Amino acid sequence: MERSATRVIARSDVNEWLAHILHHRDVIAPTRSPGGDTMFAPITSPDDVLWDFENPLAPPKQFLLPQTEPLAHFRRIDGHMHVEPVAEQRERVLFNVRSCDASALAFLRETYARDLADDVVERRAASLTVVTLACSVPCELGFCVCTDAGPFLRRDFDVQLTDLGDAFFVEVGTDKGRALVGLADALFQDAASDDQARRDASELAARAHFGGETCHFGSAMRRISTKRVADELWESMSAWCLDCGGCTHVCPTCYCFSVSDTPPADGCSTRCRLWDSCQYSAFTLEATGHNPRTAHGERMKRRFHHKASAQYFQRDGRVGCVGCGRCVKVCMGTTDMPTVIAAIRHGTWDGGRAHA
Amino acid sequence: MPNLLLPSVATILTQRDETPDVRTYALRFRDPDERAGFAFTPGQFLELSVFGFGEAPFCLASSPTRGPDVEVTVRRCGRLTDALHTLGPGDEVGLRGPCGNGFDVDAARGKDLVFVAGGIGLPPLRSLIWNVFDRRREFGRVTILYGARTPSDLVYKDELRDWERQADVTVRVTVDRTGPGWDGTVGMVPVLFDHVELNAATSLAYVCGPPIMIKFVVQDLLKRGFAAEHVISTLERMMQCGVGKCNHCCVGHRYLCRDGPVFNVREITEMWE
Repeated sequence: MERSATRVIARSDVNEWLAHILHHRDVIAPTRSPGGDTMFAPITSPDDVLWDFENPLAPPKQFLLPQTEPLAHFRRIDGHMHVEPVAEQRERVLFNVRSCDASALAFLRETYARDLADDVVERRAASLTVVTLACSVPCELGFCVCTDAGPFLRRDFDVQLTDLGDAFFVEVGTDKGRALVGLADALFQDAASDDQARRDASELAARAHFGGETCHFGSAMRRISTKRVADELWESMSAWCLDCGGCTHVCPTCYCFSVSDTPPADGCSTRCRLWDSCQYSAFTLEATGHNPRTAHGERMKRRFHHKASAQYFQRDGRVGCVGCGRCVKVCMGTTDMPTVIAAIRHGTWDGGRAHA
Repeated sequence: MPNLLLPSVATILTQRDETPDVRTYALRFRDPDERAGFAFTPGQFLELSVFGFGEAPFCLASSPTRGPDVEVTVRRCGRLTDALHTLGPGDEVGLRGPCGNGFDVDAARGKDLVFVAGGIGLPPLRSLIWNVFDRRREFGRVTILYGARTPSDLVYKDELRDWERQADVTVRVTVDRTGPGWDGTVGMVPVLFDHVELNAATSLAYVCGPPIMIKFVVQDLLKRGFAAEHVISTLERMMQCGVGKCNHCCVGHRYLCRDGPVFNVREITEMWE
């Protein structure tokens, strides 16, 4: 990413910018659901966008990797099967995404582009513009400083906004971001050094929120990567996991999937990619009935090996966790990321009640 | 590959029953360009779709030296293979691939080759065996050891007899439990080691079969002086995408569908999760 161009937009002008964006693109933003929850959803009016919100429990990964994604339709025409790829949708903007989620989207984009590139995901990523809202006030459960995914970003955004009170500091990270600002260029002024100073002060204050505490991924990663986590520890931790798969569901970087066809009707069917979870026992179940990963602790070990081992870090260049804290919120037991990482570091498990 | 997960349509040319629940299909890509452009290495596999029932990985049981049509040998043991077994010549299926690393055929040149297979483990080795027979002068002695649960579970019965007639080829077959008309060896695959002479120093061994059989055969080969790097096997896990994305087949950070399915025993020993 080249060095960001920096601009400023008055708070009172933001809705006009959004109106311009809405005119040209589909916009997805944190918004209030009819039931009162905060969620990422398509919006139709600038007023729908939330600016002061708790990060939605469902991350925006669904807009890069839909939970159920039709890949192709199979149709039998004149006795012959036709495979029709599902067409892509139009350009979309993800607006007011938090730093952790933008990092996660970059992680997923890189994962799908690595080695054999998944062209479907690549095209979708290319048509997605990500506008982040830097976390001037970090969320209660987040630990993004430990995973280099926040509270402010240096990469992984197309546009990064920082709330300066009366205005937003605007960092343009990519050509896609430049194009988005360009939709209403007159609303933006070049940033002055004073604006930059206020933005930097906001970042320092946000970082200070975390104090000196980190969850020490490094030492846990060393233990995981060198097989120095006892099988008994995995087993005893897994007793506190209810096997629900909730953590992998809300995790913005989890991307395990299965491929399945809808039942054939009149020779037609649709092939879909579906979210799956390595925490389900059937994840590795073979047609013969053989299952190489039956022990619950083995499945947990798998999850944390993928998330936080040097082997994967070497491949991905990132930890498979962005510190969003969603697993802490969703886990009905105590086997969320920071608790397990702490237990691995200490080498003991106390039910997860005395962590950090 | 235009779309990583999109299958191409292929037509079933022929089918042949190997055993009561194992069938070999010959398949041809419907698109002539695709057929002409399809290249693979023994040991690689295909994702085979039964439209409306999903897709699953099957090893390529034929050799690239024998034209662009391919063969797969499929045991009926699940929803998809049940559906596949209802299809026959003229029916269409989907193919995607080839996937996986395959055997390093060039590394085998000049070596004596030992193939050890159990049950439905013979098809991936058959691809390499054909390949070796079609380039016979490039390789040394060939020894084929094969076992199945009962005589009726042996696949490629006619071919086994053909292979035996080739020059410098030894074929030994055993069954775990004898059955009508069987007058051959009875016992698990490792008993065949006492019926052949192997030279560990000049040989590469290829082992494929159920996990328990692989375990004992590998132990035997190592005991007979084979270096771990010279014992090569193909591993299996539940697979979905076949292209290293979906995470079903991981062992640690290795993806069997992408880094494998072919590994030597040293690599397998170093694998952990």
